[in-house]
Parts: sequence; C-alpha cells; structure tokens
Amino acid sequence: MRLARSRGCPADHRKGQAVNRCYRETAGEYEVDNMAGNKRSHVRGSSGGSCKYVTLATLLWSLLLAGHVSAQQSVAEREAARVETIRRITPSVVCVMAPNGEGGGSGVLISADGYAISNYHVTSGSGSFMKCGLSNGKLYDSVIVGIDPTGDVALIQLQGRTDFEFAQPGDSDQVRVGDEVMALGNPFLLASDFSPTVTFGIVSGIHRYQYPANTFLEYTDCIQIDASINPGNSGGPLFDIQGRWIGINGRASFEKRGRVNSGAAYAISVNQVQLFIESLKSGLIVDHGVTEFTVETVEGEVIVSQVSELSEAWRRGLRPGAQIISFAGRVVTSANDFQNIVGIFPEGTRLALTWRDKAGQHEATIRLRPLHAFQKAPTLPEERKDGPKPDGHPESPEEEQGGPTAPEPLPDALTKLFVERDGFCNFYFNELQQKRLLDPLRSRVASMGNYQAGWKISFAASGGETPLTGELTVGPAAAGLKLNGAPYLQNSNEPDASEEPSQLPGFLTSMIQLKRLLAGQNGGFTEQLAMGRTLHLPLRKPVDILVTREGARTCRWYFSEGSELPVAVDVEYGQAIDEARLILDDWADRGGIVFPGRIGVISGEKEELTWLTVGEVSSK
Amino acid sequence: MRLTAVVFVFLFVMGFIDSNDTLSVVAQEIARPTDVIKTQQPVIVKLFGAGVGNLDSYGTGILVSPEGHVLTVWNHLISTGFLTAVTFDGRRFPVDVVGTSKDHDAALLKLKTEPGEVFPFVDLKKSIDPEVGTSIYAFSNMFRVAAGNEPVSVVHGVLAAKVPLEATQGRWVFPMTTPVWLIDAITNNSGATGGLVTDLQGVPIGLIGREIRHASSRTWVNYAVPLTTLSPVVESLRSGKSVPSEAKQASADVVMLSDQQLTSRFGLTMLPSVVERTPAFVDDVVRGSVAQKAGLQRSDLIVLVNDTVITSVTDFQQQLAAFRPGQRVSLTINRDQELKLMELRIP
Repeated sequence: MRLARSRGCPADHRKGQAVNRCYRETAGEYEVDNMAGNKRSHVRGSSGGSCKYVTLATLLWSLLLAGHVSAQQSVAEREAARVETIRRITPSVVCVMAPNGEGGGSGVLISADGYAISNYHVTSGSGSFMKCGLSNGKLYDSVIVGIDPTGDVALIQLQGRTDFEFAQPGDSDQVRVGDEVMALGNPFLLASDFSPTVTFGIVSGIHRYQYPANTFLEYTDCIQIDASINPGNSGGPLFDIQGRWIGINGRASFEKRGRVNSGAAYAISVNQVQLFIESLKSGLIVDHGVTEFTVETVEGEVIVSQVSELSEAWRRGLRPGAQIISFAGRVVTSANDFQNIVGIFPEGTRLALTWRDKAGQHEATIRLRPLHAFQKAPTLPEERKDGPKPDGHPESPEEEQGGPTAPEPLPDALTKLFVERDGFCNFYFNELQQKRLLDPLRSRVASMGNYQAGWKISFAASGGETPLTGELTVGPAAAGLKLNGAPYLQNSNEPDASEEPSQLPGFLTSMIQLKRLLAGQNGGFTEQLAMGRTLHLPLRKPVDILVTREGARTCRWYFSEGSELPVAVDVEYGQAIDEARLILDDWADRGGIVFPGRIGVISGEKEELTWLTVGEVSSK
Repeated sequence: MRLTAVVFVFLFVMGFIDSNDTLSVVAQEIARPTDVIKTQQPVIVKLFGAGVGNLDSYGTGILVSPEGHVLTVWNHLISTGFLTAVTFDGRRFPVDVVGTSKDHDAALLKLKTEPGEVFPFVDLKKSIDPEVGTSIYAFSNMFRVAAGNEPVSVVHGVLAAKVPLEATQGRWVFPMTTPVWLIDAITNNSGATGGLVTDLQGVPIGLIGREIRHASSRTWVNYAVPLTTLSPVVESLRSGKSVPSEAKQASADVVMLSDQQLTSRFGLTMLPSVVERTPAFVDDVVRGSVAQKAGLQRSDLIVLVNDTVITSVTDFQQQLAAFRPGQRVSLTINRDQELKLMELRIP
C-alpha cells in the first residue's frame, strides 16, 4: 500500500520541494520513488475583505499577482542555477565497487590525476583494488592509497587518465545551520550507468560529535543534514548550493525504519578531510590524536580533570582544575567542543592551547599523541560495511542467476601500484612521497663536499639573558660542544639527555641527526617515512613531514613548499623530556657543506626561541 | 527587484488589514534561514527522563512562557517522572508537571527555577494555521544528537495535509479528533516528540507528535498538533483549570483515576501504562503522602485491592476510582517475592 505524504508547494520551489517523495512499504522492504511535483498556485488573495476595502483590495490584488509572477521568476532562476550546478559537479562523483562489482558505495574525485576520497567502511571490503564508475558511464581501475580508519576516510586513486574532473572544496567552517545542501552518490546502487543520485536538504546541525558506536569509527565535528542518505551514499560528497564540496556523507541515525534515511545523517567536514589528505597520499594508516590530559564540563566551564605527569602539557604547567579557554585557535565551551577539536587532527599535530588557572592565563603548544596506532588496517563488524543488500534491495538478475563472478586477474601496471608493508596502507605511495621530499635534497647536497667527514661549526647567540658562544664538533659517532667554555659530549648510539646543555636542550642530538640526514643512504636511520602535511608552530606555515627513526630517536623534518632542505626539525630523544625543536633557516653553502646560517632553538616552559647565528663552518 | 519591494510594502500593509497568509508568502523571500533558525533554537528544551522498554528516555519541549513553562506531548517520558530539562545554554533544570490534557495528548511542565528568571519563549497566541503546502522547519532533540548547550537539530519540509489522525502506539489510540498537520519531513524519530514546527519565518505552527503508526497503513506518521489548538489548552492548564474533554461520553463509560490524580492525591506514581496489561508496579512514592503512610514503596507490585485481583495499571486506576474519600482499602502487594498487606486511606 502507498501513503502519499506530501503535496507540492510551488511557492517554495526554491527550497527544492518540487519533487514529492512517496514511501512504499511492503513486507519490510523500502523503496524511495520520485514523482514530478504538481504545480498549483499557492498564493491566494484576501477573498474575505470587508466592503469598504473592496477598491483597495482590488488594487492590491493586481499588485499581488504581479508580485507572484516576480517570485516565480526568482524560483525558476534558482532552479535553473541548481540544475546547472548539479551538471557541473556530477562528473566528480564516483561509484566505488569491489573488483568483482560487488557491494559498493560512493566517492569524490579531488584531483585531475585521479585521487578520490571515500569512506573507510566502503573501501575496507574491497581489498587493495577496486572498480570505480563515473557519470560518463566508464569504469576505472583504482588502487587504495591511504586510510584513516578512525575518521572513516579512505583515499583511492583512479587510473588511466590525468584529466579527471574533480570537486572544488569549500570551507566547511563557514557552513551554517539552515544552509541548503546536496548529497550526490549511489544510494541502493540505482544507476547502472553510474550517474549519481542527487538528494537535497538543509544543514540540521554543525559541530556534531558522533561516538564510535561499537567500532573505532568516530565522527567528530561533523555536519548533520536532513538530505536523504541511504546505504550506498557512503563516501559520496556533500555540496553546498554553490556546488562547493563541504563534506563526505558517511553515517546516519538508523533506527526503527531499518537502515534507510531517517532525516538525520552526518557528513565528515571537508576541513577535517583536508587535514588528512597529504597523510593519506603518503600511503599511511593515518591515526587520530589524543591529548595527555582529560577535560570535563563543569557548570559551563571546561575543566582539566587529569593530566599525565609524563606529558608535555604537564611540563608546560597544565594541572587538574585549570580551565581550558581555547584549543587549536577555537574557543572551547564544552567537553564535546574539546573532543570535536581534537578529533579533526591527525596524530602528531602540534596545537596551541590556552588555559587559565590561579596564576592567570597561559599559552603553550602541545603535540597530539597516537589514538589507536594501528599496525594493520582494522576490520569492521559486518553490519558496518556498506552495501545495499542487507537492506532488502532487489538483487540484479545476473547476480541471482550466477552469483558474483570471480574477479579477472589484475594487469601488472595496476598491481605494481600496491606495496604491502606493516604499518602502512600502501607503501608504494609512501615511497613516492619520500622521493618527492628527498630527491631535491639529495641533488642539492650531492653537489657539495663530504658529509661523511667531521664538522666544525662556531656559533653565537646574543638575544637571550646571557650571550652564548659555542664551538660544535659533529663526528660519525658523537657530537661535542664547548658552550661558553663548558664542555658537552653526546654519544650517537645511546644519547643521554643529561649530556645536553641546559641552555640548548637536545641540540647535540639534533645535530647528529642532521648530519645523518644530509649524509644520505638513508643516513643509517632504521626507518624513514613520509608523514603528510601539517601547520608548523611557531612558523605558522604548511610543511610536509618526513619522519626518520633511529633507536629511540624520532625526527620530524619539515619541508615547506619550494624548499629543498628542511625548514625545521623536532627531535624526540627520550621519555618524559621535551623534544628538541629547531628552526633551520638561511641554508647556504658554508665551508664545503650546505648548512643553515641561523638555527632557532625552542626550549623551556615558555617555549622561548633562541637564535644561534652560525659563524665558521668547516668539514674535514 | 524594485517591483517586488513595492509589492512587499503594499502586502505588508494589507497583511495587517486582512490576511496573514499573504504576508507570510512574500516574507518568505526575505528572511534568511540561518537567522530564523538561530532565533528559534533557544525556545527548545531537551528533556531527559526514564525510558520504558524500548521507548526512549529523552524528548523535546517548547518554552511557552517567560517563567519557564514547557509544552510537550504527554507520553511515557512525562508519566515516569524524574524529568530534567536542558535549556539552550546547557543549564539543567528539574521539572514539575503542571497539568496534562489527555484529549490533546499534551503536557504542560514548569522548570523549577530561581524566582525572577526569564526565558525566551514561543508566544502561542502568535501561532498560525497556514495553508497546506507551506514550507516548514521542525526543531527537535532527535536522536539526542545535540548535547548540553549544543543547538537542537532542524529539518525542513512541507505541511502536507491537515486531517484528523487515526494512529496507534501499541494498544494506545491517538486521542485527538480535531485535525493535525501531516508533515513531509521525517519528524517521527526518537526524541523528536514535543519539538517545534514553524514556518520559514519562525512563526509557530505545531508541536511534533509521538512516534506512532497510522492505524490502517501502519506507516510511521510524521505529524504535528496545531499550536492554535493547543494555545487555549495551555492557558487552561496554566490557570489550573481542567481541560474540557472532547469525548465526555467515552470517558464516562469507564471511571478511573488519571496518572496525575494518583500523583497529586495519593502521592503515587505507577509504571506508565504503555501496553494494555502493564503490570501495576509502583514507580515512585511522594514523601509524606497517603501512599507512603500506607507503606508503599517503589517497585511494589499491586496484587489485590480488597479482594479484587489487579491485572494492570489501568485496572488499578479503575478500582481506586470506585472508593469515596475517607474510605479505607486494603492493598496486597508483592515485594521481593513476598506478599504484604497494607491499608490505604482514600484521601
């Protein structure tokens, strides 16, 4: 039986209700039909005017009709603009399927070379390769690139073209409740020619937090919409009414109706996705972060409840009872707010924190620690994997007869794009990014002298309370420093934090690591990987991250756009001590090697920056 | 563009002279959705109470007076008591039930506040009955998506019809005989009950109804009770008057004490009668009430009233209604698998 639930409202075509929805319910199966809206005049005149107002009413009535015509024009214009926008954005929408054509969801192209974003719960069932259909009706072989299991995001790359049409991202922080939005994707895998389904709605809520319900999938700071989202929509793009990509539709509140639209669906904000894209392009299993302290809402204030005594936050002076004012530049008014902010950043991101305690207001930067540290792509419970079948959608006749067909063997050109390695989603892409970062460095360094030899470097600093003068020696197994006459010696194999100068903690260890990086052949590092992009603090510029590891030492080398050599490095060299944070500036050929002319050292509770001016450099 | 402006000015004048409908049609071109929604969200409260079976422990209400009166649907959430309301700014308030109207399926609550506290509210006298086809917003605490000071969810849709509703929830039958709004938006969701429907200018239209199914089609009905119907009901409940029943004959057939009478007279709250044979469990006993004096406690199961076997909450309410004030009645209750006898004086 059918229950018609709506009638047309021509006065509001601009709100997209020209299309009626009718739901048909039969034995637990749901279909969504579309019917053309009935066009009927909505505006009615004031038929019951009193006699003495008849003349006035007639005059007004004629004006009213004129007004109606003009309103209709604006409705028609809006509709035409919407149709044009949909035509423009449609080619970027992807239908994502397993290699044998089973299951499936949606995605969105983000670059001409075929990178596309989808949901992790869509790609996780497909293995390393998938088939992607576009609105031109063509199928493209695709490979998994990187995954963000917690954020439910996956990056894939479509092969075979370098001129894919792709979506233009908007700024999801500018999205407001009530904004009109369009969701494009493949609900119920309706289109055999891969032309996406468009559903329309409004933004129902912003900065929503959705708990990881029985899984690790956690939607933080997401956009709630009332546009219809159904199985198969997952991974597809949410656009604003101007056609700017603002989110990835991935989750909905399903309840008594089964897994079909309930008017409450959630999109991962494009701003969150953007923070992860470069990490995903590096073939990683990207992790989200946690702070080493917890907060709770107490009478409208966000209060620190616990702080790990081994944490950076503790060393910066954060204690239980302090009130959090802002985090990552956003004002925090509830524990949910705080969770929303933490949740949108990849693990390892350094963020600015402002808090207040009895002593006053304080500011510091702290690094997010890994949340899950997955070594392998985690598995999802069956019901979390996407696909229209469990929802009673009729199977296609082919499937009913023959069942899923065995996938064809993949061509070599495709299989070489996937390299399996523990801790990575697809190591092939990490190597690609490492090459991108390191090739310019290698060619810059190769033209210069001998990096295997020992370095002798003099420097001075005049900005601080006491002027510093130093003589640094870096050899293959140790680094020595004479700082204002006092000697320091740091071993390269098992560094001892107590051997570092208190004015420049971590400086010696960092110089040993720098020498290794420039010396080449992986510098003897036990591990080296590209890590994505972040906003460097305090430089406040986007930088690409190369991580090197040697024993307990982890270095994050930061490369900014157009710089062959790192602009900064953070070196972790011990438990429960601050990492050494150096800014490497004014690189030039000095005394036979390439070396910075200025080194900024960030240290102390106030994260003060001390600039060392490099004098004589020699390499023998 | 200029013509539209001129027409608007004329219509604005005419709107005062005659029809509100025409006014709202043109104004739809002017109001910004974001602004309208922002101004509406502070009048919604999130309600939290006790769930029963698979019924939710949360819902929605609308502030209808500056003193903190809240209008909502009279569903299990209200009957179970222990209600807390969370206002738009994240403050939590305990809640009193001021009155209920069975015929309108409505309940009026009052936030327990410091004297002199002023809340943003919906002026029910300004509520309208627009034409079918009018676009609407529906605000609610659906799925408990918003917590604390977070703004409630808003969905959009169209007023699809205004018709009498035949609908049920288990054995319970929707009591209203006057027409309600059917909405082309999914408002039949967990926790949405008691939410607000407005037009695109924020003018109040309806109170989002229960999670019920249509009696014949068995589909989930998205409906709202017109606020024009509820406005006088709220007035009566606020002034302490009873609400005249639309179905006097039906209610005359069976005499029974209402949940509210049980609470106010006896100090007794029973498990809400959500199914036909809901066992007569005591849910709460007011300190110092006749129920407490008789010895009743939470979780007691009423087994006998005098010598009559009690089969359900409704049965109990009917039995008690047969006695006159001052009479003494013996109650047999089951407490922790042990039968106890006690005496209750009818107040």
